[in-house]
Amino acid sequence: MIEVKGLTKNYGSNRGINNISFKVQKGEILGLLGSNGAGKTTIMNLLTGYKPPTSGEIYIDGINLLEKPMEAKKKIGYLPEIPPLYPELKVISYLRFVSDLKDVPVRIREERINKVMNLVNINDVKGRLIRNLSKGYKQRLGLAQALIANPDVLILDEPTVGLDPKQIHEIRSLIQNLSKEHTIILSSHILAEVSMVCDRVIILKNGEIVAIDTPQKLARELFNTEKFFVRIKGPSDKILSEIKDIEGVLSVEKQKNDPVSGFSCFIIENSKSVDVKTPLFFKMAFLGYAIHEIRPESASLEDVFMQLTAETNCNEEAV
Amino acid sequence: MGALFKKEIYIYLCTPFGYIFSGLFLLLCGIIFSFYNLSGTRADILGMLGALNMVSIVIFPVLTMKLLAEEKKSSTDQLLFTSPVTVTSIIIGKYLAALFVFLTTLAATGIFAVFIAIFGDTTPGAIIGSYFSFAMLGAAYIAICLFASSLTENQVTSAILGFGFLFGFMIIGFLSNSMPWPFMNKVLKAIAILSKYDEFTNGVLRLSPLVYYLSFTLIFLYLTIQVVDRRLKDKEA
Repeated sequence: MIEVKGLTKNYGSNRGINNISFKVQKGEILGLLGSNGAGKTTIMNLLTGYKPPTSGEIYIDGINLLEKPMEAKKKIGYLPEIPPLYPELKVISYLRFVSDLKDVPVRIREERINKVMNLVNINDVKGRLIRNLSKGYKQRLGLAQALIANPDVLILDEPTVGLDPKQIHEIRSLIQNLSKEHTIILSSHILAEVSMVCDRVIILKNGEIVAIDTPQKLARELFNTEKFFVRIKGPSDKILSEIKDIEGVLSVEKQKNDPVSGFSCFIIENSKSVDVKTPLFFKMAFLGYAIHEIRPESASLEDVFMQLTAETNCNEEAV
Repeated sequence: MGALFKKEIYIYLCTPFGYIFSGLFLLLCGIIFSFYNLSGTRADILGMLGALNMVSIVIFPVLTMKLLAEEKKSSTDQLLFTSPVTVTSIIIGKYLAALFVFLTTLAATGIFAVFIAIFGDTTPGAIIGSYFSFAMLGAAYIAICLFASSLTENQVTSAILGFGFLFGFMIIGFLSNSMPWPFMNKVLKAIAILSKYDEFTNGVLRLSPLVYYLSFTLIFLYLTIQVVDRRLKDKEA
């Protein structure tokens, strides 16, 4: 549905993004993840035809955006970082304006506006001035604006910014529902959000792609060690030294103990190739310390993100 | 184009800018009509339009200051330029909205013209000619001020620039008379926007002033479109 080849954007002598290439399939949700200034917004501005790339090609549903901008833009709905709203207008007149702008046929216009207002749940403010809306409503109106012409592709720049937790949840499930009919690219700096909503993730660092994969794979493949948490009834110092002796244990981290209940908690890191849980179980049983809990400490996308961006930091410093 | 036109008209109705323009315009017309025509017992519309002309360099920038500058500042231009509409139709839509507000206001002053036509001895031709020429001049002014609005993202800067441009074009006419070189005199006269206006309002309807103001308008609309288009197509910005 979306294909990007060798996309580069320079701002004068500053590099915005460099040689970005990726494809997005129909119905897929792609997440762009990166710290501030990594190039998320730049990529979105290029994909929507707001700014031209310094070099590279963009295809939206097979249409070259740079050669046939009018046709390609019909297929895109864009929610920029700051929702493009006119504070002087009422919600309903704003949506009418956008539908005219996006060539929504007049006979289905009102029906379309009502549908979209229901979808993002802003029906109760349709007669209010945009100036007086709260940030959450403004954000949702921005989303409504992107949806109004029922575009094949939705490009959402940080769609949940400024919303309260309940609204964030609503918007996330809305986005997941929308992916049945739309192809979606969204950016975020909230890692949990991306791993929850997106089918695939691009991690950006200094305008370059450092990783592109499903959130699960990214978390799995980047680490050849795993961590798990144990809670054992017994004296922590003794248990700590015993755990350290088990073959395959790379590190043990003592957690905060509860002195009253007599439990000791540890996070143990081991290499994936060696099973340490079985020897741990028998050793503790032999010593008479009961294991009350074992649970995996999975590497979150946050760890992946920190690791990837930290690695590049080290490289840069080395250079 | 239609969508932009409707939106701008709507915004003119909801914000002070349109009202400031129309209000000042009509207030001045009223004052001038009372003093020049009623108290001064003169029966021509030229005095009123002539005086309006002088203040128009201040009020036209108010009409257009927001049109392009504000879109950029509030980043609503992202919506416009990622929609399937051309830059040309966006600019023309906005221009026509401002022109519409101006012409509606001008039409409201028709009541004075009706009085003058009834009680004075001017011919309807002279009155219509005066109105027509002022409308043409206003159309050119709006194009110039719209161009000023495209150069900045600050409304105040946009208004000051617009004022500067109009003042410049006006002052050139006075300067041209004191130019010692005949050639420069001609060049300055050619771009002095008011020199043709005087010609126009003599009561003779001729083609050349018409073409002159029309080309002024088109040139500045073209420049505005170019400024916006260049900025959008700049591969390094």
